[in-house]
Amino acid sequence: MSAGPMPPNRPQVKALNCPHCGAALTLRSFGNAVTVVCESCHSILDAKDPNLQVLQRFQAATDPEKPLIPLGTRGKIRGTEYEVIGFERRTIHVDGVPYSWHEYVLFNPYKGFRYLTEYNGHWNDASVLKALPEILPYASPPKVKYLGETYRHFQTAKAGTSFVLGEFPWQVRVGESAEVTDYVSPPRVISSEQTGNEVAWSMGEYMSGKDVWKAFSLPGDPPEATGVYENQPSPLSADTKNIWVVFAAFLVLLVMMMIGFDMSSNKAEVFTGYYKYDSNQRGEASFVTDEFEIRGHTSNVEVDTSTDLNNRWIYLNYALINGETGQAFDFGREVSYYHGYDSDGSWSEGSANDSVAVPKVPPGRYYLRVEPEGDPGYGVTYYTISIKRDVPQNSWYGIALGALLLPAILLTWRTLSFEHLRWAESDHPPIRIGDSE
Amino acid sequence: MIRSFYIIYGIAVLAGLGVAQYQGLSLATINEVKNVPRSVRDNPGSYRSVYSAYHHYTGGK
Repeated sequence: MSAGPMPPNRPQVKALNCPHCGAALTLRSFGNAVTVVCESCHSILDAKDPNLQVLQRFQAATDPEKPLIPLGTRGKIRGTEYEVIGFERRTIHVDGVPYSWHEYVLFNPYKGFRYLTEYNGHWNDASVLKALPEILPYASPPKVKYLGETYRHFQTAKAGTSFVLGEFPWQVRVGESAEVTDYVSPPRVISSEQTGNEVAWSMGEYMSGKDVWKAFSLPGDPPEATGVYENQPSPLSADTKNIWVVFAAFLVLLVMMMIGFDMSSNKAEVFTGYYKYDSNQRGEASFVTDEFEIRGHTSNVEVDTSTDLNNRWIYLNYALINGETGQAFDFGREVSYYHGYDSDGSWSEGSANDSVAVPKVPPGRYYLRVEPEGDPGYGVTYYTISIKRDVPQNSWYGIALGALLLPAILLTWRTLSFEHLRWAESDHPPIRIGDSE
Repeated sequence: MIRSFYIIYGIAVLAGLGVAQYQGLSLATINEVKNVPRSVRDNPGSYRSVYSAYHHYTGGK
């Protein structure tokens, strides 16, 4: 059986070579690319032109740059296999300082294009938006809303293309620039790119270098991320919210404990005595009270002293002595109250009353030894001593509240520091004390 | 992780608070003395307080 005649218009495979340097070109996007860049001579070619017309050459103008993910590498992003077909470096200038990031063009024959961007080890998986975001008028700083989520303006800058390689689904040129505006809601970012009257919107989602390396099965380790990126999710923000929820629960428990201890504690007054101390009188000032019974489990005893002091002080050496065992709790209390009026207005310091809790006092029969002291010449001071059993101490509630608050505050501070670093790089840096216009 | 740690920490804080309140702990400086002689009851001047050497503040502005 002989072969039939060859059809006159049989499609022929055309060798793809760079018309400038003759190097072989690989087209990976099955005719979807608009421009292709020769890897050898860096000529930008018109991929839609059968003769691959040279659109631009930029080799002399820029340094060659090696993509971290080589062209032709395949990897899975969100379950779909993509091939890296293009690479570009884009640069913005802020206060004369150039900042560059890299963009990788990914292609899947069924899903189309998507992009990976990389800046200082921070990665974003980006794709073109299918619907326009709603620009919120009058918002300050500007905001956009997309799929119910609000994005806050981060930065607007003129971004120039400074290096290209591979295939692109648009007419890429080195030196071309666009006004790029980013709105963030970590871990996502919405970007608009305006060239003339044309605006293109895309959305990126933060990826770690490790995830990118894993997705593309790249050897070695990714470059370490430095600084805080605009849409980098705070590693502590979720923890901070959680910890405040748990704190609220603990606060409820604390209040319940306060009520519980207040209701269950004895607070029984076991002794009260009214006394007079004359500092002019010579001789032994110490005395002991009658014995009194302290009941219940080992707990505290609160000794309250109320005086009629007025611009004076009194010092009281106390000893709460168990008449049966000889165990004593020895303590001294200075009670002083001063007040007056001067050029700053009225002032006062101290208090005519005092309260102290004696800890862990076992039950038993006790008496109080009192030894008052005062400046000779002060004269008579009247005072009352009142002793109560098992009185909850508010200082412990304060300490517990502080101890519960401390981790929550520290974590919040670290989260705020992270946000401070993020927004310090934006068009809306946080105002710092000491900054002046 | 941080949440779990905080829950354990918070429970420990509240448990400590409960123990402190139940046992009647206090932040006050109290000196415990053993074997005070019974004679102090009849002769209070024979007892020497550890705080008697305290240098008193004679304040006022």
